[in-house]
Amino acid sequence: MDAIDCDVHVAPASYDALFPYLSEYWRQYITEAGIRLNGVAHAYPRGVAPAAPSSYDELASGVLDRAPAPRAVVLNCVTGFETHRNPYFAAAVASALNDWMLSEFLARDERLRASLIVSTVSTDDAVSEIERVGEDPRFVQVLLPVRTDLPWGHKSNHAMFAAAGSAGLQVGLHAWGRAGKAATPSGFTTTYLEDYLGNQPIAQAQVLSFVSEGVFERFPDLRVIVSECGFAWLAPLLWRFDKDWKGVWREVPWVKRRPSEYVREHFRFTTAPAHLPAEPAALDQLLEMLDGPDQLVYSSDYPHVHGDGLPALLDRLSGEQRRDVLWATAATLYRLDERA
Amino acid sequence: MSSWVEKRSAVVAETTRSVELVDCDVHAQATEAMLAGYLSSQARRMLERYGRRTPRVTEWYPRARHAGMRVDAWPGKPGHIWGSDPELTREQLLDEFDVDYAVLEVLSGQDCYDHPDFAAEWNAAVNDWQLDEWLSFDPRFRGTIAVPHEYPDLAVEEIERRAADERFVAVLMPASAADQLGSPKYWPIYEAATAFGRPVAFHTGGYVDHRGAGYPSFYLDYHVGNGIVMQSQLANMVAGGMFDAIPGLRVVLTECGVAWAAALRWSLDAAWELMREDHPRLERKPSEYIDEHVWFTTQPIEEPEHPQHLVYAISQARLESRLLFATDYPHWDFDSPKQALPRALGPELRRAIMCENALALYGLPRERTR
Repeated sequence: MDAIDCDVHVAPASYDALFPYLSEYWRQYITEAGIRLNGVAHAYPRGVAPAAPSSYDELASGVLDRAPAPRAVVLNCVTGFETHRNPYFAAAVASALNDWMLSEFLARDERLRASLIVSTVSTDDAVSEIERVGEDPRFVQVLLPVRTDLPWGHKSNHAMFAAAGSAGLQVGLHAWGRAGKAATPSGFTTTYLEDYLGNQPIAQAQVLSFVSEGVFERFPDLRVIVSECGFAWLAPLLWRFDKDWKGVWREVPWVKRRPSEYVREHFRFTTAPAHLPAEPAALDQLLEMLDGPDQLVYSSDYPHVHGDGLPALLDRLSGEQRRDVLWATAATLYRLDERA
Repeated sequence: MSSWVEKRSAVVAETTRSVELVDCDVHAQATEAMLAGYLSSQARRMLERYGRRTPRVTEWYPRARHAGMRVDAWPGKPGHIWGSDPELTREQLLDEFDVDYAVLEVLSGQDCYDHPDFAAEWNAAVNDWQLDEWLSFDPRFRGTIAVPHEYPDLAVEEIERRAADERFVAVLMPASAADQLGSPKYWPIYEAATAFGRPVAFHTGGYVDHRGAGYPSFYLDYHVGNGIVMQSQLANMVAGGMFDAIPGLRVVLTECGVAWAAALRWSLDAAWELMREDHPRLERKPSEYIDEHVWFTTQPIEEPEHPQHLVYAISQARLESRLLFATDYPHWDFDSPKQALPRALGPELRRAIMCENALALYGLPRERTR
């Protein structure tokens, strides 16, 4: 598709691929403890999802060499969303993943961009990693999981947003992550289907947090791109959010405008999964409720499969709107204009 | 001069009225002292020595003004708090808005994770108090059966004890519990409710500790988040097969919003198409179970800038016969029967929401005596 693809997955096949970028201490730690990349396995079980490309050649044959060639691709490596909580290990793995992506992918194709992996258990370490490699223009956003111990808008994370802003990075909020006491806001799940869909309500809670904690008042240039969490839920959430804010705004005096205004300005959502109504009339209503497709950016989410909702959606758009969703909005967002 | 018989029938005609307004979520709230009188000496001793051991949600997320209640909701009577005085509720709700039936949801037992003996007594006390102080006070009040939901065998006993009294129109459950609400652990409660012809009303609140995105900082997030929790619960109820297991089960999702239902249906159906072979017990599309088994109360109904968008959301989720009007008296976000529903909904749909759907669900009489 003639597009900027905002969410394509890559992942090392095992920790072995990261060994060149890890110290002897961590190589031993991994080997002796027998640690595997379980986080990805839980999110994308092998029976459900093909393995993400682990090399440039695999990425080329799966995505880059397909006609029509994508204008640009944003790589997401969610290998960093591991279950362990050792902050020192998390920081070392984040650095190794970034170095691996730089040499395995980013150095080999001008069209490639990537999300910067940071520790998701230590703000200090996330800031250090942003300062270490975040200025590299091939990194376009900081990758954060939707599942967290503390919502991302919390003030303890603001130093990371400040560092991201200084490095010219946005925030990429992606499905999955480290489960806390339970992976959903209602408790332990018993099926993968619930885990899979659980990303959508969890992402909603993160949207609330960014606004209610005043993140966009402090960082007016920050944009948050929500990947693989859907978007059909957005309008009703904002109706409720605005209504509640009108009643209890005193609790969050730094929220100066209606919450929906911040969300429309600062959030973008990738188009996979597009879990949408079958009837064209309902699709038109949905687009009207979303105030048009301005907040949507295309993603294939390669190699993951979510059904075939997107073509029906694109059919309901004007030529200009389709162009915006497929690449123009992302080009502005990631400052890819010159390349696109 | 008219006969005595004619006079009497004229009086009867004057004192009946066609039902026009059913309020499906009204909060009566007992103080601990009010419930203590119904407890055994052992349970009262536990309460006096240790207090309620489960933190209230208001301790997690304080409500910055008037404790989250309507400013005028405090009775000027010693020993009373908001929602504890049936006279004030009658004046401010039933009489002011001509409410024909008000379904009470007493939340005092919703977050009871105490010892099973205590939990059973505590919820029984809630029901006794509801009966003595409210249902016997005005025939417009209808009750819901509070149950010690974490101990389903005891919950079933409580349902059996109350079921003969038709003034209890539903069984009350929280919207968040130790396990997901579709868990087979809770099915005996739903089976008992269904056997006695009662829907199960899941009311926003309960267990706070499930947090996919972590704990929010503010009541604002927590409160908007109640709708998010219910989305997750409904997905679990459908995926867990409880509607297949209990075919007559009717559930009322209370105080969690309504407009999100369409997007959840689409995503459930899409995910089911991708994984249906992994869910052999789900014989039909998830949205069909929702059509058949699920009702929603309106308050706090979403308020889009363009009211027509709410009409879209209701029709997309096929909620026309499933929405039940609710005020949530005496909470701060009370939805007035006169103002809450936008005119865009049209007179027929408004009538369905204001009374017809509730009359059908709860089997309430269409005429009532004044």
